[in-house]
Amino acid sequence: MYRLFLTLRYLRKRQIAFFAIAAIMLCTAMVLIVMSVMGGFLDTVKQRARGLLGDIIVDNKRFGGFPLYDEFIAEISKWPEIAKATPIIYTFGLLRFPSTGATHPVSVVGVRLDEVRNVSAFGAGLYYDRMYPGTTTLADQQQPLLGRSAASGIDLPEPYRSAGAAAHRAGVQDDDATPNIVNRLLHERGHPGIPGFYAANETPDGIGPPALAGVPSPGIIIGRDIVARRQPDGRYTRWYPRGEEVALTIVPTSLSGSIDTPKKLAFRYADDSRTGIFEIDSKHSYVDFENLQGLLLWDAAERADGSGRSPGRCSQIQIKIKPGVDADALCTRLTAAYRELPNRIGVALTTTEWGLVQDIEAVTWEQSQVHVIGPVENERNLVTMLFGIISIVAIVLVMCILYMIALQKTRDIGIVKSIGGSSVGVASIFLCYGAAVGVVGGAMGAGFGYIFVRHINDFQTILTDAFGWRVWDRSVYSFDDIPSTVRPEDLARIFLVAILASTFGAVAAAWRAGTMHPVEALRHE
Amino acid sequence: MSEAALLRAEGLHRSFQMGRGALTVLRECSLSVAAGEFVAIMGKSGCGKSTLLHVLGALDVPQRGQVWFERTPTFSTAQPRPQRSQFDDSFSGVERRMVELRRRAFGFVFQFYHLLPELNVLENVLLARMVGCSLFAWPGARAAANRDTHEILDRVGLAGRLSHRPAELSGGERQRVAIARALVHRPRVLFADEPTGNLDAETGSSILALLRGLHRDGQTIVMVTHDSGVAACADRVCELRDGAIASARV
Ligand SMILES: Nc1ncnc2c1ncn2[C@@H]1O[C@H](COP(=O)(O)OP(=O)(O)OP(=O)(O)O)[C@@H](O)[C@H]1O
Ligand SMILES: [Mg+2]
Repeated sequence: MYRLFLTLRYLRKRQIAFFAIAAIMLCTAMVLIVMSVMGGFLDTVKQRARGLLGDIIVDNKRFGGFPLYDEFIAEISKWPEIAKATPIIYTFGLLRFPSTGATHPVSVVGVRLDEVRNVSAFGAGLYYDRMYPGTTTLADQQQPLLGRSAASGIDLPEPYRSAGAAAHRAGVQDDDATPNIVNRLLHERGHPGIPGFYAANETPDGIGPPALAGVPSPGIIIGRDIVARRQPDGRYTRWYPRGEEVALTIVPTSLSGSIDTPKKLAFRYADDSRTGIFEIDSKHSYVDFENLQGLLLWDAAERADGSGRSPGRCSQIQIKIKPGVDADALCTRLTAAYRELPNRIGVALTTTEWGLVQDIEAVTWEQSQVHVIGPVENERNLVTMLFGIISIVAIVLVMCILYMIALQKTRDIGIVKSIGGSSVGVASIFLCYGAAVGVVGGAMGAGFGYIFVRHINDFQTILTDAFGWRVWDRSVYSFDDIPSTVRPEDLARIFLVAILASTFGAVAAAWRAGTMHPVEALRHE
Repeated sequence: MSEAALLRAEGLHRSFQMGRGALTVLRECSLSVAAGEFVAIMGKSGCGKSTLLHVLGALDVPQRGQVWFERTPTFSTAQPRPQRSQFDDSFSGVERRMVELRRRAFGFVFQFYHLLPELNVLENVLLARMVGCSLFAWPGARAAANRDTHEILDRVGLAGRLSHRPAELSGGERQRVAIARALVHRPRVLFADEPTGNLDAETGSSILALLRGLHRDGQTIVMVTHDSGVAACADRVCELRDGAIASARV
């Protein structure tokens, strides 16, 4: 009983204990904030890295791609674990905007748009597809032009007008684009506005009616950071009107990976895509799968040596699996199934084609993205560790303070022992004291850290408003907000460590108090 | 040596390491105290009175010799005996018996009061009861402890000063608190190390009157003093000389 009594009493009466509590509190809060923000950052990166990927990726990491994808997809679509699969082609190209003369080296991705929507989150990152549902296509299209209309003064041609109106009725909010002058004017007149950036139908007699203009060209979806600039408020300012013609130069590669003559083709900017990963959004453009396959000469064709037809090729297959399926086990089965596919269905492949199939491997999306996720994960662990090490300072501080108290209280220790306090009992007073400092400091730090993390974006807003200082610049990080969730298990773990660390800090003092001879302690001046 | 000895010390030897040499304070010191007896120990300053009292009161361990309380040895006979650190022995049971004696059988009054400055009068006394009580037993024992504490503080005349800090008390009052603390668990033996040494004559005699009153009620008291006037109120006066009890007069 006396242990608890004296512990509490000393905690209340010794002001110096507050410094120890403050140190523990600050360290707890610091580690909690770092862990939460970095952990949230990691989660967001994972989620975003996911963006373009299905649950499982089948790939052979070879420049020439691999054949028999349609046969394979047809086969595995019957498996109960598989929800949907779609082929993808990756290649390189140069994207040129004739209106500005800007040229970007890009990764050109061939997708079946209707399929890829069902396999990955790709569809959710499209802007015009959200504001004008159903108008984004990779097929041939003309440029929609704004024009005068009797009803609202200014409008888009069909089907863009109705699609936009339908989205507006459904309550879709444009939180992505910086309102341009046309929209500001329309808003002033009480018009819902025309989200995005469209060119006007300019004629010699002024603005003409809404129209679809220009030569039809296949659509291209461009990474948002190529066609727009992210503003500090997280919105994008687009530089090019929708439907504008762009030139894409690609280099066909043969089966063995050798390079053919480059081809330059016209596309129309149908939409822009955002995954949230700057690396992807500033470097990727998406065109129709079959179209790209043809341009790359990856489609089925007669072999030059006259030995029959060579099958069409793709670079990757993305698979969405049903919930609750063990992805790792499935990957092993998929890999084996693909490698045996030519024999099973009895297709004659050349040695080169056979080699491409034998290199195929199915991996989960996490495995395929380790190069993105791994560094962030390491970074989180490293930063947490660094702050943990810094927190050792707090433990040393607790150690000093408690040892000082033990020195100061030498006589009292003797008194307590002389009235029957045992060595272990007196030592445990100091351990309890340390633990109590840990509990109080840890709880306060956890509370403070929790509140700070929850309101971290509000603090940021206050800082921005007051000093124009933005720590988390949205145009740099491409995350809308600073992650602000505290995981309960992090909270519990940090709190526990704070108590243990602080108790550990009391060991020296406890040792001194416990080993002190009562008579010596009483003689202490 | 009386058959009815409550406390019996025999062949006590205690020396202190001083640099290279050793200072022997007690050598072949023997003493026996009967139940209900009031014994005063006298001697020159520095002759080892306090040391003897500490050994008798289970606060210190002699190098040789043994102390029996109710015919049970105070210290383990296993050698070597701890001199400085008692921590290592706290698990082995060497300390446990001493701690038990301090908690239940002995009460100590020091020359310099030795009260805990953070606690008030009531808490200082109550602490001696808490020490012998586990956390879970305390709620049950609390009422009795409180009653005893109030009773003993009333007896030493401090009923009205319960919430005062030691710093707010006079020397005599502090000594009374110390006596109350030493008595609150109803010890069999009360050890007093110059209880009046720091007090003026008048306050000293009131403390002595208190001790005499306790003795009349049957309290066994062992008191150290160098004042023969103080020693006069004891049943028996022993003189400590050259590390041993030289003479005893009744
Ligand atoms: N822990 C110790 N270390 C070294 N020497 C000690 C220790 N304790 C006591 N002594 C020595 O032992 C001798 C006896 O000390 P003790 O306190 O028992 O004397 P005393 O008879 O009580 O004296 P006084 O009447 O002045 O209180 C002293 O010379 C003292 O220096
Ligand atoms: Mg003395």
